[in-house]
Amino acid sequence: MNVQMLMRAALVCLVTVLASAPGAAHHSTAMFEWGKEMTLEGVVDKYEWTQPHTFIWLNVTGKNGKAEQWAFEGMSPSWLGRRGWNSRTLKQGDALKIVYYPLRDGRKGGFYVRVILPDGRKLEAMPQRSS
Amino acid sequence: MERLRIRVALTAAAVALGALAGCTGSNADSSAAGQAAAGSGPGAQNGYAEIAKLPDWSGVWEPVARPGRGGPPPEPPKVTPAYAAQYAAYQEKNRTTPGINFISNVANCVPPGLPGSMLQPYPIEFLFSPGRVTILIETYSLVRRIYTDGSPLPENPDPTYQGTSVGHWEGDTLVVETIGILPETSPLSGINGHSDKLRITERIRLVEPDVLEIVTTREDPEVFVEPYTTTARYQRHRDWKMMEYICAQNNRDSVDEHGNPGINIERKPGE
Repeated sequence: MNVQMLMRAALVCLVTVLASAPGAAHHSTAMFEWGKEMTLEGVVDKYEWTQPHTFIWLNVTGKNGKAEQWAFEGMSPSWLGRRGWNSRTLKQGDALKIVYYPLRDGRKGGFYVRVILPDGRKLEAMPQRSS
Repeated sequence: MERLRIRVALTAAAVALGALAGCTGSNADSSAAGQAAAGSGPGAQNGYAEIAKLPDWSGVWEPVARPGRGGPPPEPPKVTPAYAAQYAAYQEKNRTTPGINFISNVANCVPPGLPGSMLQPYPIEFLFSPGRVTILIETYSLVRRIYTDGSPLPENPDPTYQGTSVGHWEGDTLVVETIGILPETSPLSGINGHSDKLRITERIRLVEPDVLEIVTTREDPEVFVEPYTTTARYQRHRDWKMMEYICAQNNRDSVDEHGNPGINIERKPGE
């Protein structure tokens, strides 16, 4: 790989990142506090590998010890599937930490940005923010 | 005996020719009735040999620079008074939260019309066959059929999301003309609806070995004071495969008539 090819690859990568922000494909993101990262721990109840969005349904133990169910919309298989994710990436029973942009209306949900597995691996689930 | 055989053969040939003529005639009739010709024009006869002369557009094309995303924003369009208010309101929203203020119905899984369909976030793919270029659009699983066999655009096609298209090659550039686009679709982000006069012209060519450029011009005297042109670029991925995209599979998003977005996170028992 020569310098010119490297430059071109870097440019394409940059353009891709810019073009992809903010990310969500077919709807406004105004119902989320877009860019405000929150973290929550829980156990996967269901992972939906579906268009137009994937969903992580998470069982969480609330502050008072009460069981809560949270819903996290994510990027589509069309985006995630070309960046290392597939329908088997998460499954029922998986314990994980989820980083998300919360819903503005206070309901238990948001848009997932990345998932952190018990061994510390981070699975990025969105275009990296350029600003 | 030999003479009889020849006579039978000649008769058969005459019948076949007659049938062919009748067939061609009926094609001409349906064409006159406003049907788009289906790859039966003069270009189709050259068949697959002609396709070998076309540029190589194989592979999967990822949009990397769309108007307003991935590059400097294009010059704003000159919009007629009838559409100025909604476009200004969109611009104002976009100033605070750029790129996310969709007002069209796509959040409800109603697919975008042309040209929005070509500016979706997921890839497109081209298929060449005699007299025809087919564009497959991953987002919403859309198909565009572009007749390149020399047939003219019909005068009054019934409106559809992707309209009725014909194309021709100018060197290595495919020039596509489209009319008959459903008037409730969005000709540009921030403008909902247009007249039945909307005409889209696309010039599609390779600008680098793996970069495809599409220059899109929108003409509709009821929306745009003058033709409005934007440019998009697509990066080739030879190792990608197109994916299925069925919007109704699990759409929990919505948008109301004012553009207010919603999301349903209720789960029915057993879901």
